[in-house]
Amino acid sequence: MEVREVLNIAILSGEILLTSGSEIYRVEDTIDRICSAYDIKCESFVTPSGIFVSGWALNNINESVSFIKRIRNRTINLHNIEMINTFSRNLQIKTMPYEEAMKILKSIKIAPYFSFTKRLSAAGITSFAYTVLFKGTFFDGILAAGISMFIYFIAEKMKKADFSQYFTNFLCSFIAGLIAVNAGKFIGFLSINSIIVGSIMILVPGLAITNGIRDALHGDILSSQSRVVEALIIVTSIGVGMGLALLLMKVWM
Amino acid sequence: MKEFVLAFLGSYCPAILFNIERKNLIWAGLCGAIGWAAYRSIYAFTQSEIFGVFIAAIVISALSEIMAKVFKTPSTVFYIPSLFPIVPGISAYNTVLYIIDKKIAEAAYKGLETLGSAGAIAFGILLISTIFRYINTQNINSKGQ
Repeated sequence: MEVREVLNIAILSGEILLTSGSEIYRVEDTIDRICSAYDIKCESFVTPSGIFVSGWALNNINESVSFIKRIRNRTINLHNIEMINTFSRNLQIKTMPYEEAMKILKSIKIAPYFSFTKRLSAAGITSFAYTVLFKGTFFDGILAAGISMFIYFIAEKMKKADFSQYFTNFLCSFIAGLIAVNAGKFIGFLSINSIIVGSIMILVPGLAITNGIRDALHGDILSSQSRVVEALIIVTSIGVGMGLALLLMKVWM
Repeated sequence: MKEFVLAFLGSYCPAILFNIERKNLIWAGLCGAIGWAAYRSIYAFTQSEIFGVFIAAIVISALSEIMAKVFKTPSTVFYIPSLFPIVPGISAYNTVLYIIDKKIAEAAYKGLETLGSAGAIAFGILLISTIFRYINTQNINSKGQ
């Protein structure tokens, strides 16, 4: 197979991995593995916002092909990471022709999510569980579930409309804070603190932080820094949104 | 026991949000619940938030590395959802509350506690994945010979 085609497969797998929230070393590893499965030497350099690969055939080292792929949007989809992992390991055992591989990759790319209602109710149950876990009552939990389903709905809509994730997080935690404080004002016996903490639990950037650490561990200092900074900005935007809501209510009351 | 179930739900449902495969959902939930149990028992024993979180992070990442080996999936699938219960959400929230009330000393205290817990989680993961990476490379080396 031609070098160009192999690199196409490799870079598409890398792109899917990176946009699904994979660690850097896994992306580089996968690219290397796919290239070596087709007997091609390659060097790859991956950052959270782009993939750089150049490869050359073992019998013709004078002719190398390079690709750069810019990655713009990143979501979390651990299922895709798993599927690409199996795909690349299968390639190592038995290579397949270009068209077939591309077809598989494209089907992975559009692989079904859990349905929207399922994810919405999952968000609700998450917040319910955390509110009760953090010393809220059953009723607090129900309210937090309602709030988090509402902000999850807004967050998904804003993601589709291509707002920046920092602004989305800011607005969502602001709304959560507003609703919780207002509910606490009108219904006397709620514990506002548990409700707010529970309902913004679904916004916490857990993946960015842990990936930042894993990247640092594997020596990808550049990506580790950018991920940790990303997480810090998200945390700050959540905090500011919540703080603003609380402050407004304090002034208003 | 009630907390165990809640922590289970608290890892199971984020796992749905992260779209992991159905058969792995329950294991991610279990992993999170065990991590929470570890955190609670260490906390009751030493009264130290940060130490409890540290041990819990170690337990969770060790469990998820083992599960990853057993089920042949990346370990990310298990430990991202199961770290959810021990994320220092409460102390972060209290920090913001104190800042609004202009109680800077308390805010600094809580903020440091938050940073400490986050660092403890980070270091716990780092420790375990280093050990497992060492074991993995040892395995590969011995197979190659």
